[in-house]
Amino acid sequence: MSYNKNNIRNFSIIAHIDHGKSTLADRLLEATRTVAVRDMEAQLLDNMELERERGITIKARAVRLDYTAKDGDQYVLNLIDTPGHVDFNYEVSRSLNACDGALLVVDSTQGIEAQTLANAYLAIDADLEIIPVINKIDLPSAQVDRVRKEIEDVVGIPAEDCPAVSAKTGLNIEDVLEAVVRDLPPPQGDPDAPLACLIFDSYYDSYLGVVVYIRVKEGTVKEGDRVRMMATGAEFEIIEVGTMEPFGLKRCGSLSAGEVGYITASIKNVRDTQVGDTVTNADNPVSEPLPGFREVHSMVYAGIYPADGARYGDLRDALEKLRLNDAALNFEPETSAALGFGFRCGFLGLLHMEIIEERLEREFNFDLITTAPSVIYEVTLKNGETIRIDNPSNYPSTDEIDTAYEPMVKASVITPQEFVGGIMDLCQDRRGVFVDMKYIDSGRVELHYTLPLNEIIYDFFDALKSRSKGYASLDYEFKGYEASDLVKLDFLLNGETVDALSFIVHESKAYGRARKIAEKLKDNIPRQLFEIPIQAAIGSRIIARETVKAMRKDVLAKCYGGDITRKKKLLEKQKEGKKKMRRLGSVEVSPEAFMAVLRLDEE
Amino acid sequence: MHNDPKLLGLYCHIPFCKSKCAYCDFCSVAGSGNHARSVYVDALCREMSEMGKKAKGYTVDSVFIGGGTPTLLGEALFEKLISRMYEEFFVAESAEFTVEANPATVTKKLAEALVRCGVNRVSLGLQSVHANELKLLGRIHDLADFEKSYEILRKAGIDNINVDVMFGIPDQTAESFLNTLKHVVSLRPEHISAYGLQIEPGTPFFARKDELPLPTEDEEYSMYIYACEFLEQNGYGHYEISNFALPGRECRHNKKYWNGDPYIGLGCAAHSFFCGERFGRCEDISAYVSAVKHKALDSTVDSREILTLADFESEYVMLRMRLSEGVNKKAYKSLFGFDFDERYRDRLKGYVDAGFVVDNAESCHFTTDGMYVSNSVLSSILDL
Repeated sequence: MSYNKNNIRNFSIIAHIDHGKSTLADRLLEATRTVAVRDMEAQLLDNMELERERGITIKARAVRLDYTAKDGDQYVLNLIDTPGHVDFNYEVSRSLNACDGALLVVDSTQGIEAQTLANAYLAIDADLEIIPVINKIDLPSAQVDRVRKEIEDVVGIPAEDCPAVSAKTGLNIEDVLEAVVRDLPPPQGDPDAPLACLIFDSYYDSYLGVVVYIRVKEGTVKEGDRVRMMATGAEFEIIEVGTMEPFGLKRCGSLSAGEVGYITASIKNVRDTQVGDTVTNADNPVSEPLPGFREVHSMVYAGIYPADGARYGDLRDALEKLRLNDAALNFEPETSAALGFGFRCGFLGLLHMEIIEERLEREFNFDLITTAPSVIYEVTLKNGETIRIDNPSNYPSTDEIDTAYEPMVKASVITPQEFVGGIMDLCQDRRGVFVDMKYIDSGRVELHYTLPLNEIIYDFFDALKSRSKGYASLDYEFKGYEASDLVKLDFLLNGETVDALSFIVHESKAYGRARKIAEKLKDNIPRQLFEIPIQAAIGSRIIARETVKAMRKDVLAKCYGGDITRKKKLLEKQKEGKKKMRRLGSVEVSPEAFMAVLRLDEE
Repeated sequence: MHNDPKLLGLYCHIPFCKSKCAYCDFCSVAGSGNHARSVYVDALCREMSEMGKKAKGYTVDSVFIGGGTPTLLGEALFEKLISRMYEEFFVAESAEFTVEANPATVTKKLAEALVRCGVNRVSLGLQSVHANELKLLGRIHDLADFEKSYEILRKAGIDNINVDVMFGIPDQTAESFLNTLKHVVSLRPEHISAYGLQIEPGTPFFARKDELPLPTEDEEYSMYIYACEFLEQNGYGHYEISNFALPGRECRHNKKYWNGDPYIGLGCAAHSFFCGERFGRCEDISAYVSAVKHKALDSTVDSREILTLADFESEYVMLRMRLSEGVNKKAYKSLFGFDFDERYRDRLKGYVDAGFVVDNAESCHFTTDGMYVSNSVLSSILDL
């Protein structure tokens, strides 16, 4: 199709989790006959198995739809899907910047939730035109008018005439497409200006190298052009330029201002094509990159070890492979006296961490031992030096520390009013500082707190869900570092510190956590021939202790009828079992027991 | 080495019981008729004629008829079996000849038949003197049955009796176990075996294991330690992990297992160690019977292991260490050509320091505490 940017609409769909974002995307693909109904795999855009299972979108995606509107004109609709989790807020903001408008999907049975608001604000920040779409109107508990009013009152955008649909049944889907072409603006930009493209995603393909998803903001990009990534400085010659179709890439040779598509250039590493970076022409560059680029920073770190120490090399290969596609994943080799060789990995957040762990286990068949997740602390030492700590083992001793700082987040919780008390208690208990509280409507409240990130990664979300019967929703963003009374908590088995169990905690929490983990250790370490003292310590001060009593019973298998072979097999099995054990100091613990100790289940 | 005759143990398995106990995972069936037993004894006789040929030149110095409940065969079948055994094997007059008996199945007639057949040792499975514990175990006898049987056997001239007791039984307390021990000791049997109850897969107990009121690990340990002390005080030497005997009354047959001496097992599910080879026969009674009938005895072997020197070495240590005398270092060196200490001293050090093992110049053996956790120690020190 010839290039007429007035007939292009670039938009994304934003929503709280489970409000029907992916289902709506599927219906749009069907309604525009981009995908025949028979080819629909439920939720086509979420094409990672894990994404479908969890009902969340992990990677951004984009697809081009061709739509003939009621006015008879042909339109190109570029739908850019966004990740749906707070861990990926930066990626969401870049995807939104690639668009000119957004559909804000709200579940008519639930109303506005924390991520509805967070995403709406991101879209407003990106100057997008927003069309609310009220979904799930086929359900008996739908309250369309109430939700319309809520959108107007809380988000502050008109919703009187917005589409009300059922993405599940396909009801009123045409209204959405018409609203897109009618109410969203066409893209701006000059095809003859110097080239500026926004990278909003990339992935590694073993044949093409990195496939870079771009929105052309200014100028034109063609095959054969020499381009530069402005943040990383990397330069490449473009091999392919094309658009994203639902079932693959379609080469088209060039893209101009306003268009969305992909480029390839035999790029070996996604690190060279970071989300948010600007692609410009190396021979005729723009003077300023597009605004908003940020290096991806890991917020959460954990040690990942193969349960079978011999698979260390395989684990490195697997992590390398995942990193090809995931610029947010970091890893460095680390050695633990207790766990052997493994990697300290950095993640965007807990969900990102869980996803990586799960992919390692599923796609690469690993049994893993993962240490408790940790945030990055900043410590100024008495000698004036400032260090960043991503591994509790490296935490300096108390007398070297001048001030310790921990990362804080601005958290927003939306909850039915009846749970406010419990949630405020929870936030209080997690060292939260109350900011404000707003009524969204007569029944629901939005709470704002400043919370330490390390409290959020310690099981906060589950606790929130259990205190609100699953109704409360959470969103948060990084706020900055604040001075804090932090201590490093060590655990000693048989008098020896087990490095893999150490963690950093606020002084006020140290005692409670110490007792809890000591108890868990007692319950999970099998009795052994020797009594095992368990101690929790801050520096040299012991703050909790437990004892695993000595094993008293061992199978006294009788050798009836002289079946010595069976007896020997029994011992062989026992010996085999021991080989799987990890030595934590002088104590043997199975990987399962170790994981049970580290599992975060406060409530 | 010397001119002693080549000695051999004979084990014969009788896989029949009146009813099956709730904890038992041995090969035995309940409710079989006389015909089945007679067919089985015929098969045993055929097997004996075959195995007897292989055992030419050996002197049998111990016979052990176990089960199951061997006494369930009745006098006639029993006599048939034993007379055939004497034909096929050279059984020394001085041989130890043990039969296992359920206290509910011993009659005067039977006891006299046993003595007539040359039986000189009977092993009675008492387990407990308490009715509630016996009931939970699924035993078919009570204390009175046991006492009656005991008296009958003594009167018939059996001067070597073993009594099995069990600890770790559901509902059992340290006190009730003590009462069982006291009662047994008051009868002065020559030998007492004290086994810890094991919950084995496939047994009724296993299916209910989470609801059984089992004593705790610590209580069970106390029972064991208490039994060891109490029996020693009353003159019973603790010569093997679970076995206690008056002086000179250790079970010769069981000691063959621990000493690595040869023995032939007859019948289904029986195990042999003969000519450096360990083998076991299938557990399926009818498969055994029909294979023997069709002269396919070899097809009933379902496990076979030819021991390498290395296998033999680790087995030797594993088995010897069950005995309170442990490994004799001189004997070890003459068998294997190197010092016991060279291989084991370092591996044993932690266990010696912790009081589980005594390791001196002449021998290495477990302490009582060590015996109770012997599997853990052995599995860590042996090259398996």
